[in-house]
Amino acid sequence: MTAKLLVVDDEPRTAELTALLLRRAGYSVEVASSGTEALERIRTGSPDLMLLDYEMPDMEAPEVLDSLRSGGARIPFPVIILTGARHSPADQVIGLERGATDFVVKGTDRQVVLARVHSALRERAGSLTSITRGRLHVDASRGEARLGDRVLKLERRPLLMLQLLANRSGEVVSRAELLEKVWGSSYKGFEHSLEQAVHQVRRELKEPAWIETVRGIGYRFVVQP
Amino acid sequence: MATGSSSSPEPRAELAQALHRLRSTLARMRAELEVAEGDGGAPVDRLLSDMREALEALGNVESTALGVVRVLVVDDDERLGELTARGLRRLGYDAESSLAMRTLRPREVVVFDLSVAPSLDEPSRAALRLSRPIVLTGASDPSSRAVAEDLDASDYLIKPVDNEVLAAAIKRRKAEGQP
Repeated sequence: MTAKLLVVDDEPRTAELTALLLRRAGYSVEVASSGTEALERIRTGSPDLMLLDYEMPDMEAPEVLDSLRSGGARIPFPVIILTGARHSPADQVIGLERGATDFVVKGTDRQVVLARVHSALRERAGSLTSITRGRLHVDASRGEARLGDRVLKLERRPLLMLQLLANRSGEVVSRAELLEKVWGSSYKGFEHSLEQAVHQVRRELKEPAWIETVRGIGYRFVVQP
Repeated sequence: MATGSSSSPEPRAELAQALHRLRSTLARMRAELEVAEGDGGAPVDRLLSDMREALEALGNVESTALGVVRVLVVDDDERLGELTARGLRRLGYDAESSLAMRTLRPREVVVFDLSVAPSLDEPSRAALRLSRPIVLTGASDPSSRAVAEDLDASDYLIKPVDNEVLAAAIKRRKAEGQP
């Protein structure tokens, strides 16, 4: 299926050129010329990925991201920010912790832009894949998890977390990555929520040892159920 | 806060040189276009190559003047390397990933996965050593440590590494200044 991308830029020629590049790479592309228009379009149908200009007259990228996340919801698709301004890491102005997946500096080689779009779409697919591993079956998109015949009663985030860990069985998944992929932000304030989710999953599985805590780093799914 | 510009020995000279290169390249492009305007048909390949050069020069100016910190993540696992680079971009770094060593940009910090070490040729090994890389490894055994020491590593981190821990290592490396 062709991925549907939304390009947001207030400068019509820039938007058109970005859209052209992506269409030539086989994506289906829509264009919005302001933050407000982007939010309207998203309300009528969610894209698979959004490329968002940082500097726009009506609202800057962080405001668009904040609107999308209002109510603490996770932005359900990856967002790549396009920016003309360069910063030092000390500036902390980029606002990427507010839910953007990646960022690209304007004037970057088109192959690199395409690679980043591809990578963001792939990562999204990776964490959304349902999984069956022995007796365990998790399909977060349908909101269901089973161990053998037993239905696991899990809320959305613990469910997504279990799916992600089980997909990467044997590998340590860092707290930062879990926060980013499940909570949509690596904001430290969600750490408590992450611990609660782990607790809930262990309790529902009734196999607390299946999810191993790797001190100071993250968690690992260690079993072949 | 250490930045690229403060750790560079001659930021002003470097800035002047990068701006000079930028102006020459833009001037060449203008001349190319002016000639093409008369003859009809623009030399697209030459203009594109000039444009790449101009943007590279502009990148050098930004890096010197604004303290943009450039990072190259070298990892034989494309997906993991790109995840690390992306995590650093989200923290405000100008980070790229690569499967192999490449020519470094001025003041670029290298994050080097030890799994790539066996495939290094002599010139890349020398360039890597000179950059005093931050070495990532999956193992804490003495032999990995020896390889890291041989590469004159500025830091040695065991995977998986939290992005903020990596960012702290990059800051330490920048604070040391140029090799």
